[in-house]
Amino acid sequence: MSQGQGRRLVPSYLAPGGSSASTRNSLQALTVLIATGLPAKPHHTPAQQRLLDLTAKGSLTVAESAGYLRLPMGVCKMLASQLVDDGYLMARTPLSGIPDGIRTPGAGRPPKSLLERVRDGLLTAL
Amino acid sequence: MVSSPPSSSPPSPVYLPDGDFDLVKILIVGPFGIGKTTAIETVSEIRSLHTEEPMTQAAASVDDLVVDGKNTTTVALDFGRLTLPGARIVLYLFGTPGQERFRVIWEDIAQGALGALVLVDTRRLGASFEVMDLVEEAGLDYVVALNQFPDTPEHELDLVRKRLDLEEHTPLVTCDARDRTSVLNALRTLADHLVSRAGADLS
Repeated sequence: MSQGQGRRLVPSYLAPGGSSASTRNSLQALTVLIATGLPAKPHHTPAQQRLLDLTAKGSLTVAESAGYLRLPMGVCKMLASQLVDDGYLMARTPLSGIPDGIRTPGAGRPPKSLLERVRDGLLTAL
Repeated sequence: MVSSPPSSSPPSPVYLPDGDFDLVKILIVGPFGIGKTTAIETVSEIRSLHTEEPMTQAAASVDDLVVDGKNTTTVALDFGRLTLPGARIVLYLFGTPGQERFRVIWEDIAQGALGALVLVDTRRLGASFEVMDLVEEAGLDYVVALNQFPDTPEHELDLVRKRLDLEEHTPLVTCDARDRTSVLNALRTLADHLVSRAGADLS
């Protein structure tokens, strides 16, 4: 990095729309995708266009998108990350207030308040 | 139950509710044929979805493996969704095979999971050891649910607990994967357990 380039003011994981060079690594199975409305271009692959079509009417997780498009989750993540980086898709983290990328396996437990909400929600569902 | 292959036409998408819901996942794990997919279908508000993830190593065998015409081996994942509107939670249930050879996929799926429901069958308790090892290794708290089949013999829960070498705090329940209330009860027991474990961490 050159001196003149300066320091990034916002961490990449907080960049608007989750757009950053590290998108591919930060997308999770439950990251929420929704199309920005930017029309697909001819250079987009059929799979990318299908993903944009799918998320044009509402939001879906990466996992669900993969299921509907009949793609392995890893492939769907790759397609989505490119589209997020290029501004065609918006990505939202599964949990409000907890940015993607900081949750690694075994690193810290989910907040108790979140677990209590799940418990209370399940009680209501019974 | 056997993971069913995708039907010819994909189900129409059921989009997420509007508003600021938090999305969480719970794993439903256990050996092949134990009823993971059935349990998911029983409580899911959407038709359960299915993906096939490529495996890095070919370990073709029975169970959740699919070998396609190109000789690549894939592992099937099934998942469903349950919105808990009052709690502003969308709960995802991922049916995950828990064998050592699925480790790479397992780690990806386990990331960020709240906990796991481990389905076991009295007739083959040993088949669940590997799953439980992986769950523990991932640092996930879990509840063991003894799946009830029509011909499940009468058994002593204490005996099962002993044979599975469960820690004292780990709940053991019975569960009929075909019955919505039964599956929801098992999930509620898991959620209770997760809350109490979170409390234990603070002390």
